[in-house]
Amino acid sequence: MDLENKINKKPRVTSRFLSFNKNLFLNTKDKFISFVNRFKNGSIGTKLSHFIMGAGNFYHKQYIKGSIFFIIQAAFLTLFISSPEVNRTPLGFKSIGNFFTLGTVEGDVFSRTDNSMLMLLFGVVTFGIIAMFLAAYFASIRSAVKADQDLASGKKPTSFKQDIASLLDERFHVAMLTPAIIGITVFTILPTIFMILIAFTNFNHERPAGQVLFDWVGFQNFLDIFSGTGEIAVRFGPVLTWTLIWAFFATSTNYIGGILLALLINKKEVKFKKLWRTIFILTIALPQFISLLAMRNLLSEYGPINAILQNLGITEAPIRFLANANSAWTARITIIVINIWIGIPYTMLMTSGILMNVPAELYEAAQIDGATKRQAFFNITIPYILFVTTPYLITSFIGNITSFNVIYLLTGGAPTVSGYIAGETDLLVTWLYKLTIDQSDYNIGSVIAIMTFIITASATLLSYRRSKSYKEEDAFQ
Amino acid sequence: MKKLLVFLTFAIIAITAIGCGGKAPLTIWVGSESEAFYQQKMEEYKAFYQNQNGVEFPHDIRVVGVDTGTAASTFLDDTEAGADIFTAAHDNLGKLITGSSAVAPIQSQALLNQIQNDNPDSFLNVIKGTVGGVQYTFGVPYVAQALVLYYNKDFVSETQAQSWEGILEAAVAANKQALSLAGTDGFNNSFILLATEKETGYTSLRLYENGVQDNTFGTGDDTIAKLKWAQRFFNHPNGAKRPSDSGWEVELSDKISIAFIGGAWHFNAAKAAVGEDKLGITILPTFTLTSEDAYGDAEAGTLFQSGTFADAKLFFMKKDSNYQEYLEDILLFLTTKDVQEESFEVAANLPAYKNAAEEFEAFQADTLDAKLATAQVRMFEYGIPQPFGFVSRYNTYYYSKGAPDLILDILENKDGEFTTHQQILAQMQIVESLWKTGLRP
Repeated sequence: MDLENKINKKPRVTSRFLSFNKNLFLNTKDKFISFVNRFKNGSIGTKLSHFIMGAGNFYHKQYIKGSIFFIIQAAFLTLFISSPEVNRTPLGFKSIGNFFTLGTVEGDVFSRTDNSMLMLLFGVVTFGIIAMFLAAYFASIRSAVKADQDLASGKKPTSFKQDIASLLDERFHVAMLTPAIIGITVFTILPTIFMILIAFTNFNHERPAGQVLFDWVGFQNFLDIFSGTGEIAVRFGPVLTWTLIWAFFATSTNYIGGILLALLINKKEVKFKKLWRTIFILTIALPQFISLLAMRNLLSEYGPINAILQNLGITEAPIRFLANANSAWTARITIIVINIWIGIPYTMLMTSGILMNVPAELYEAAQIDGATKRQAFFNITIPYILFVTTPYLITSFIGNITSFNVIYLLTGGAPTVSGYIAGETDLLVTWLYKLTIDQSDYNIGSVIAIMTFIITASATLLSYRRSKSYKEEDAFQ
Repeated sequence: MKKLLVFLTFAIIAITAIGCGGKAPLTIWVGSESEAFYQQKMEEYKAFYQNQNGVEFPHDIRVVGVDTGTAASTFLDDTEAGADIFTAAHDNLGKLITGSSAVAPIQSQALLNQIQNDNPDSFLNVIKGTVGGVQYTFGVPYVAQALVLYYNKDFVSETQAQSWEGILEAAVAANKQALSLAGTDGFNNSFILLATEKETGYTSLRLYENGVQDNTFGTGDDTIAKLKWAQRFFNHPNGAKRPSDSGWEVELSDKISIAFIGGAWHFNAAKAAVGEDKLGITILPTFTLTSEDAYGDAEAGTLFQSGTFADAKLFFMKKDSNYQEYLEDILLFLTTKDVQEESFEVAANLPAYKNAAEEFEAFQADTLDAKLATAQVRMFEYGIPQPFGFVSRYNTYYYSKGAPDLILDILENKDGEFTTHQQILAQMQIVESLWKTGLRP
């Protein structure tokens, strides 16, 4: 069966790809035909709406609605044609040209150099504005067509009041989602596109924005990962490897430790269950950075742990556990151990809740069937916990890949590696911080951010789609 | 309820949009510790302007306290939103003037004359930069800083504090560590690398001299001998110790060590750690090469004076500021000798003014502040300004490419790999390459 799957897999992927393209083509074709038909068959107002937004609404005496569409078009055209300057860089149609050139004027000590970074940003913003304008444009046509259809079916076109009433009633979701979608576009999608585009430029510390022009370099920054002697070529592999090792151990130790702790506390013989849970929850209530700094001080060369070790005669000299450690692995293992202390209560808390909700009938049925406690544990408790916590396990793994606080506060990425910015305990995300905030190498930083996204997204998709939580979604409902 | 929700959503959007408008006043960024002082000075400047011109100063002025260590980077992140006048250490000049420069050159002859007359030559060299093949003056020095020695008078006498041998003797007697450091970076190891022969002031060490990358040399006989001496100092059971995760403050307050090298910014913490009555402050000590250290031309018995980076904080003007016509006049006022003296008295800023030690009355007082100021001024004789301002990448090469850790390996004789002079030389060749190119050879 597996072999058959493997054999069939390739053609299946190819056929899916072909089918997707075919559907896309047919869809586009249908939409175009429908657009042309709408124009042909529409009233004069609808026809005019294709050129003057709101014309169809005016035609059907929907003056307020028509005015709103018209104002949107007027505002867009004014912005687009006048290309007003913000921070001395134009928006509007000029920004589209600037988006491709990223500036042409190299100034001198008395005059300005084009700000390539703002030009890139404003280009992205302008494309965003165009997209939003197009959405309004098609909404205007749809509105005119709907008025035509209302008339054709003997109904009166809706008034503005009726539209508002509809927006506050059956179309309430549209009223509430519109600002949210605009917000997501402005504050999430456009900045993300901007960040991704930076990876295709040479925007780095040698080309500060507004002082030196930077330019498009295609996939060069990505190719640099695989060749040369630069920071990204030499350190990407080791940092990625350590990031994955860290994420694996940080996730698994917390997960297993948390489950064991929860099982221990849930044992019938253990008294004061609530007290124990409260004690562990208290560590969550404490801000994480305080716990981390406390641990750093406890483990410092002149901290209490070293003092105790020396007083007991276990060590002669202080052990350097963290940034000053003689070996990278001393620091790495210490970090993982500290993370156990910080992270176990979260899993313990969640697993406790799950354990209290395992259906009692399952155990009763098992007991009737003559299952031992051990069998019940491995065949009921563990599968149940795994089923419910798989999404948590995945998000926890992803969270650990992008974990910043632990490394930044405990070692700052040290011990250092001579010749490179990335230290022995740097994760992709702390390296990214150093490259961008400290070194202003935004292009490399962006490449690392994209690679981190690809890794985390792939890991999430692959592991979640293969998990029972996904495949047997309804099993425990 | 639905109407209320929709109304609130749109009201929030409208308020946010309205809140983004408005014209920024003339803004000045100064160190957080001096914010109140410079606010007061700008009030005085407005009065001075009115007296001089017969009209009120026509714009609002806002003085903002910032972290001076990151002010230049913050400014460069968004120059449009940056201050019209801001403060930064002189070694930021390189990145500020990269390409077509983000800061304006000083054109006012009156201000240029004041800079020329009031500042030591070492500062005059590091406030100039070349843009488009022409050299301009870009910054106005107003604060200076150098490393000094803080020590615990309970353990170290004034005489012992004059030499590292004396301090080591005191450490042995008290069974303490001789010295704590604030960090392992290239700034904190400057007391060894920048040390000069006491008698002649000679050192073969060169760091980007005159802004030229290749004018960098760290493998001279005297440098190797100095490092050998320092290695012995660091490996002595009571010698200097590398910075720990515990921090130098803990080491001083717990009396683990008896001395510390630091700047004026460490003063309050040092005072708190040692106690005001027990804290001694003096210039960095001397050390003498032994036959064990001697190498090539660097002979046994040679006396070295520990060195320092003697830096300046500068005021810069934003290029294309909306208030350009007023900025130089404001800087002329803010960096006068009188304002610098007042700044020292009120905000404990060590002046950049070259004759401060002789001319400023506050320097003559028998206070710790005055001792700190005097020690710093004296250290200027044995220091150089950080030479990384010429080109922005020098700073990265010197600090961020791992050279300080390679030097630390020598000092600690890591794994016994740096026992001989040749081994130290080989390591310093790697360091030199990192300084010059950012890459290992």
